[in-house]
Amino acid sequence: MNPGRSKCWPEPRAAYVHVPFCAHHCGYCNFTVVAGRIDLADALLSAIERELRDLEHSRPVDTLYIGGGTPTQLSTGQLDRLLTTVRHWYELSAGGELTVEANPADVDDAHVEVLARHGVTRVSLGAQSFQRRKLGVLERDHTAETIYEAIRRVRGIGAAVSLDLIFAVPNESLWEWEDDLQQAISAGPEHVSTYALTYERGMAFWGRLVRGDLAEIDEETQAGMYETAIDRLGAAGLSQYEISNFARSGCHSRHNETYWMGDAYFAVGPGAARYVDGVRSVNHRSTTTYIRRVLQGQSPVAESECLAADERARELLVLGLRRRAGVSLDDFFARTGMRVDALCGESIAELVRHGFVDRSEATIRLTRRGLLVADSVWSQLLRG
Amino acid sequence: MARIDCKHIRNFSIIAHIDHGKSTLADRLLQATGTISERELREQFLDDMQLERDRGITIKARAVTIRHEHKGEMYELNLIDTPGHVDFHYEVSRSLACCEGALLLVDAFQGVEAQTVANAYAAMEHELDVVPALNKIDLHHARPEQVLEEMESSLAVDPSEVLRCSAKSGIGVDDVLAAIVERISPPEGDPDAPLQAMVFDAVYDDYRGVISYVRLMNGTVHKGDRIRFLRVGREYEVVELGQFTPQRQAREQLVAGQVGYLICNIKALDDVHIGDTATAAHGEQAEPLPGYEEPKPMVYCGLYPADGENFEELREALTKLHLNDSSFEFAPETSDALGFGFRCGFLGLLHMEIIQQRLEREEDLDLVQTAPNVTYEIQTKTGETIQVFNPQQVPDAGKIEEIRQPIVRANFILPADYIGPVMQLCTEKRATYVRTEYLSPIRAILTYDLALAEVIYDLYDRLKSVTRGYGTMEYELRGYFPADLVRLDVLVGGKKVDALSVICEREDADRRGRAIVKKLRGEIDRHMFEIPIQAAIGSRVIARETISAMRKNVTAKCYGGDITRKRKLLAKQREGKKRMKSVGSVDIPQKAFLAVLETGGER
Ligand SMILES: Nc1nc2c(ncn2[C@@H]2O[C@H](COP(=O)(O)OP(=O)(O)OP(=O)(O)O)[C@@H](O)[C@H]2O)c(=O)[nH]1
Ligand code: SF4
Ligand SMILES: [Mg+2]
Repeated sequence: MNPGRSKCWPEPRAAYVHVPFCAHHCGYCNFTVVAGRIDLADALLSAIERELRDLEHSRPVDTLYIGGGTPTQLSTGQLDRLLTTVRHWYELSAGGELTVEANPADVDDAHVEVLARHGVTRVSLGAQSFQRRKLGVLERDHTAETIYEAIRRVRGIGAAVSLDLIFAVPNESLWEWEDDLQQAISAGPEHVSTYALTYERGMAFWGRLVRGDLAEIDEETQAGMYETAIDRLGAAGLSQYEISNFARSGCHSRHNETYWMGDAYFAVGPGAARYVDGVRSVNHRSTTTYIRRVLQGQSPVAESECLAADERARELLVLGLRRRAGVSLDDFFARTGMRVDALCGESIAELVRHGFVDRSEATIRLTRRGLLVADSVWSQLLRG
Repeated sequence: MARIDCKHIRNFSIIAHIDHGKSTLADRLLQATGTISERELREQFLDDMQLERDRGITIKARAVTIRHEHKGEMYELNLIDTPGHVDFHYEVSRSLACCEGALLLVDAFQGVEAQTVANAYAAMEHELDVVPALNKIDLHHARPEQVLEEMESSLAVDPSEVLRCSAKSGIGVDDVLAAIVERISPPEGDPDAPLQAMVFDAVYDDYRGVISYVRLMNGTVHKGDRIRFLRVGREYEVVELGQFTPQRQAREQLVAGQVGYLICNIKALDDVHIGDTATAAHGEQAEPLPGYEEPKPMVYCGLYPADGENFEELREALTKLHLNDSSFEFAPETSDALGFGFRCGFLGLLHMEIIQQRLEREEDLDLVQTAPNVTYEIQTKTGETIQVFNPQQVPDAGKIEEIRQPIVRANFILPADYIGPVMQLCTEKRATYVRTEYLSPIRAILTYDLALAEVIYDLYDRLKSVTRGYGTMEYELRGYFPADLVRLDVLVGGKKVDALSVICEREDADRRGRAIVKKLRGEIDRHMFEIPIQAAIGSRVIARETISAMRKNVTAKCYGGDITRKRKLLAKQREGKKRMKSVGSVDIPQKAFLAVLETGGER
């Protein structure tokens, strides 16, 4: 490690662990997953242990996130082994946040017991929907009952609940979505993440879309669904704090905030992305390749990039604007040594003029309109 | 090697209307004389530019030397296959200036067409020996007798002198070869006089520099000789010379009457010009030859690099291409919307398209082209007369006394059955009737005067459609005449986009304006905000369309902190935008700049 560099780059205070296993590869999913290969679990755990050893000594972190795939696909023994190792290398500070993603159907008493033993503070449930029809289209194996049951169990160990919800599923109507929102609200989670179903290359749904077997929900309806989510969840006390994240006050995901703030984070596991010493790097996405490389003592990193100062500053701006709180101008200057205006003052003025960005003395933030076309806002800001 | 005597040389061009079989006949001549083997042969062998093969037409005149035995004596025949399309007429006249004869082909079914007449006249004006031939006599629907009658009445040829052949089947090819030797005069020229070589074409080769194509009028040139190009006056050593067989074949010398090439290691593109004369650098020097009259461009358009950084590359590419085709013009210009680029003049729309495609293919450039326009003459209130090559240069209406536009005299040659529809088309185009002549009872020439601007929009396509492909036309500039014209501006997102302005007839402005904004609405993608698209004359808006704002464009998913992946997706989108031009904050795709050609369909 280069001591000169570690001086200017603060040590990460967050860590991500990727567990790629899933019972089935859902057609709309583009995460790094392997379906039906739970037989690789022990090898994966060994590889993760091996990768973690490179840290040399245990690192203090404030947040730890075990994501996937489906971490709860692991047997209780394997999950226990994983959490033990991970917590050894990433030492959670007092009051730290430990999140585990879970598939509602996997949340049985035995798994919950393991989570409790390791002090898990949040469980992020891949609920997606409460509607039988939507869950069918999404190729998920649970029902609304399963979700309620999982929530009850998570509550039993005193952990906070986050629900993932998907909208704009083929043929979804606005009222179907409203019903999902209603059910989610009555289930009383601390946190909700919601995404519109997106079609990307590499997904089974993409092929079906191209063949005309599936149809995308029209933009107007999608916009309406998104706005309804913001309004309904907000009215229920789950206020939007990031483009796709909603929480009761004090319950936002501190781990995810690390990403939006442009702070550093560690990561291990196949396809895991980290940001350490100013370098963003991603591990190989194939689980078998990842395992092979690590166990042979090779680096699992597939690609890495070190951004130039102004690119990093733009990225920081774009990520920061995802947060509803927006970007503090002084804070931005303190972190980048650049003034937002010097970087892209003209674009911002333009965006303000069109009502996509709100600007006050101290901060800039997206307006409701800006939120709806955030990707276009990013392209504008990334270009100048 | 013994030096060849002029009496054993024949220099001729093959001329005809487009598609009447020039290149195919050249194939037969190459084959019959054993210049190329059966194995090498492919259809239209001399059309070796990729664009020519793609389009199935000849674009560049192409010279080739063939050897042919006639009555026990060996002859060297230098043939030049010329293009038939009207836009490349300049290639024909340059070729004719290097020849003593012309083989005039007429399609035995199609008959005499516009370029048959234009090219035949050009050959006569050069005082060449014309050998007329009916081609495609193998066609079962050929109508040789009527076509002979058309030739007699339009070209004054004696039917008994017309050969009959089929370039496809090979019928009559031997007669064609015999006639070339017997009916075309040998070149006159003195091999011992000072060197006088006419540069009739040139290409730039990255390794060898400029390759000049020459016809020796007098004198002899050897490898290693020092020569001088008279226009610039610079002296060079001939490092290689030779003939086209059809590939370049090095020789020791070229003598008066012969056609070939010179390579002198010339890297400065400006040192050689088409029409230039090469002579000996030392000793007695020859007079410069008259050269060629540069044709006047008929249509202009702006060519801009899609990526503004490639301006210098574009200049370089235009300079190189200009060496090979001096009939287009280019001069730097700037546009608010498009940045730095060039205003280029062409002989016609096909010429414009070909140059643009050659730039893109041969020089690997990505270009934005603005809609073509003609040249206007403007008389200002202060009494000045200015030439305008670009709608942006038109001054405010208040300063204009009169605008004059180019008027052409067009000859339409068509089967008599189509006279009605073509007359109707001409009325639509506000053309003035001049006369009707009959070539034969079933074929006529209609003559009209009309605005060149109408010709460049869609007249040619319309003519083809109303005559089912049988009508042809050629035109000639008559001069500039006053007209009631206005400048139509286009505003995108409230900002005037200079590169989208057009000049049109006042009475036509509403219709054009509506058609243009409608077309643009379809070309420009939706943005974050609503985009009004307006057409205006001065400050008066005459048409408007709106592109509604994008409602939702946000992909919320972020893959476990994989920010790089997210950024790459955005970067990819941006890459696409690079191929667009931004005006204000609106991204306009390259091809939208041609939207102003939209005429609003049939009237
Ligand atoms: N049946 C028949 N077809 C012919 C004959 N000669 C040429 N063609 C066809 O006519 C078409 C045009 O032939 P080209 O040789 O390319 O004509 P061109 O005069 O060189 O055309 P441009 O160079 O574009 O002016 C081709 O499809 C030829 O195959 C012929 O004698 N008989
Ligand atoms: S959506 Fe969730 S469960 Fe389905 S394949 Fe993706 S990670 Fe696995
Ligand atoms: Mg040809």
